[in-house]
Amino acid sequence: MTDEKTNLAEVSQALAKQEVNESYFQLVWRRFRRSTASVVGALMVITLAMLAIFADFFSPTSLYEINLKASFIPPQSVHFVDHDGNFSLAPFVYNSVYTLNPKTFQVMWTEDESQKYPIHFFVQGSEYKILGFIPSSLHLYGVAEGGSIYILGTDKMGRDLWGKECEAGRISLTMSLFGAVISIAIGSVLGVASGYYGGTIDNVLQRFTEFVAAFPNLPLWMALAALVPKTADSFTVFIAMSLIFAMLSWTTLAREVRGKVLSLRATDFILAAKEMGASDARIIFRHLYPNTLSHIIVILTLTIPGVILAESFLSFLGIGITEPLISWGLLMRNTQDIQSLGQYQWILSPIAFIVLAVLGFNFLGDGLRDAADPYAAM
Amino acid sequence: MLNYIIRRIVIAIFLLIGIGIVSFIVIKLPPGDFASRYQQYLLDRGSPMEEAQRAAQNMREQMGLDQPMAVQFFTWVKGMVTEGKFGYSFAYRKDVGELVAERAPKTILLALLCHLISTVVGVGLGIFVAPRKYGFWDNFWSVISFIFTSVPRFSIAIIIMYLVVIVFKGPSLSSFFSPEYVVAPWSWDRIVDMFKHIWPVLIIVGLGGVARNMRVMRANLLDVLGVQYVQTARAKGLKESTVIMKHAVPNALHTIVAYQGTVLPYMMQGEIEAAIVLGLPTMGPLFYESLVNQDIYISGSLLLLYGALILAGNLLADIFLAVLDPRIRYS
Repeated sequence: MTDEKTNLAEVSQALAKQEVNESYFQLVWRRFRRSTASVVGALMVITLAMLAIFADFFSPTSLYEINLKASFIPPQSVHFVDHDGNFSLAPFVYNSVYTLNPKTFQVMWTEDESQKYPIHFFVQGSEYKILGFIPSSLHLYGVAEGGSIYILGTDKMGRDLWGKECEAGRISLTMSLFGAVISIAIGSVLGVASGYYGGTIDNVLQRFTEFVAAFPNLPLWMALAALVPKTADSFTVFIAMSLIFAMLSWTTLAREVRGKVLSLRATDFILAAKEMGASDARIIFRHLYPNTLSHIIVILTLTIPGVILAESFLSFLGIGITEPLISWGLLMRNTQDIQSLGQYQWILSPIAFIVLAVLGFNFLGDGLRDAADPYAAM
Repeated sequence: MLNYIIRRIVIAIFLLIGIGIVSFIVIKLPPGDFASRYQQYLLDRGSPMEEAQRAAQNMREQMGLDQPMAVQFFTWVKGMVTEGKFGYSFAYRKDVGELVAERAPKTILLALLCHLISTVVGVGLGIFVAPRKYGFWDNFWSVISFIFTSVPRFSIAIIIMYLVVIVFKGPSLSSFFSPEYVVAPWSWDRIVDMFKHIWPVLIIVGLGGVARNMRVMRANLLDVLGVQYVQTARAKGLKESTVIMKHAVPNALHTIVAYQGTVLPYMMQGEIEAAIVLGLPTMGPLFYESLVNQDIYISGSLLLLYGALILAGNLLADIFLAVLDPRIRYS
């Protein structure tokens, strides 16, 4: 009899041990990991962020150097076999030299095959500061003095496009993140208030949301961005543009959060908290926010690509970001002129970065959306 | 139902007034009034100071720019409603109303064409892929649609323009017709010629819409295919194609109608992007130009018009849905 009892106790203990205890985030991570697309998306986003943060390291030359003599050099190809047919395991480049087309007087860049420049990795080069304060002069790759290496070619100012594209991610990514965070802040506050208080407040906020959502986003963004004075300093432009993007992007979130809060409001744990005399602020911040947080993060991820696309279009038109700030859209500004595009096709390469960023955040957001509710059946 | 429709219309009118107010604020937001900008414009053109000042003063009195804001707003709205006057554009030296009348029909035509294509093709593809869930074609079209909603549309426009103009030495795309057809009366050849010029916009804008419509249609159809009456239809021994086309699709369609309210702004924005890059004479390039030149009455009027178009589209979708789907709750 007693044996049986201890046995039972042991069994139930063992069972309890087995059942323990994956936290919410472990469950989310487990489900997130299972979907290839979302992992790929996360990797894409992390790669772009790394390239942006350590742009100075990934660029073989200084990011701020302007060399008008090197204007519009086509991408240099990396060789393993030289023009005599000798194979070398170490990759090398030939310098681009400049000739004039005798008939049309067009500038032509050809490879100077007399001198090979092997590519060295982790070389010392121009000085820069990591994150703005750690001095360093290490670059991922580079060639010896006298040579040049532009793997994606150069822009009008003779700047290495690859380095510039990495650097442009700083503005494109932080601005979209910043804009999305502001829009999330507005949207979640209005959504929670609307769902929690109900009644007149809900009605008024809902009509207001509807009104903002009825606006055509792009035309209004364009109109407001054009109002930002051209003479404003970089920081003001950055903040103003982020606010402009945030102002119209919060409506989806406000609606979804409201729906979520409406359903949570009637659950037992909120009622219990209310009965125990918790204040509205406590209920909202201790109980409602944490339960909508996963949702908010998902929407945040899905808001970012829209802002990236809009920002690049506005900057491309010249009414968004302006120099000295730089973004992917701004780098494509020269493509507006069909003549230069016809001669220098490689200036289209920022598109790849934009697509990578948009795809990455979309994949990531879709994956998070599935993972955020790990208790639902797949 | 009539009650519901009337209520939607009343709400739309209020929203329209709101959009009008915001557009007006955009007109008034830049420092200095319209007359001083006109004066600056004249000075840049080399007119003597006194003359420019006199012209500006004239304009100020004529347009009532010295009146209070509310009065100015009402004059602006009244001018639009009663006389079709949207304000003066100094770059074009005529009323914005005339410019808009020239370009709005083309814009709407383009928008409708894109809409038609994206709906028909999108719904068709949705019906095609839904029964093949996770099959090759489903994955194929999912990937394609993901790509088409991720590539910035202005860059697709650039690439198409590059291919047409530089690689294939094709005709210029920045007009609706070749020169010989511009004033010709409508004929089959003229329509063909028009399509030769506007196909890039149709592709750029249409494909994004196709992708979205396809995704929504696929999801709906999958939902409907799982319910009991579809099973019953299968159990009766109907052919699978009959089950899908007769029983499932009609019940999945109304969500597509409701979704059109969301697709329309997306299409409109695509049209703006593509037309600006290609230089097609629709409202988009005019809007952009006016923003750069600070020709504010054009910007404000077009902003209002874009808002009104989208609002009208939403309203139509709502009403159509109410007629189509008896399950809609009218509250």
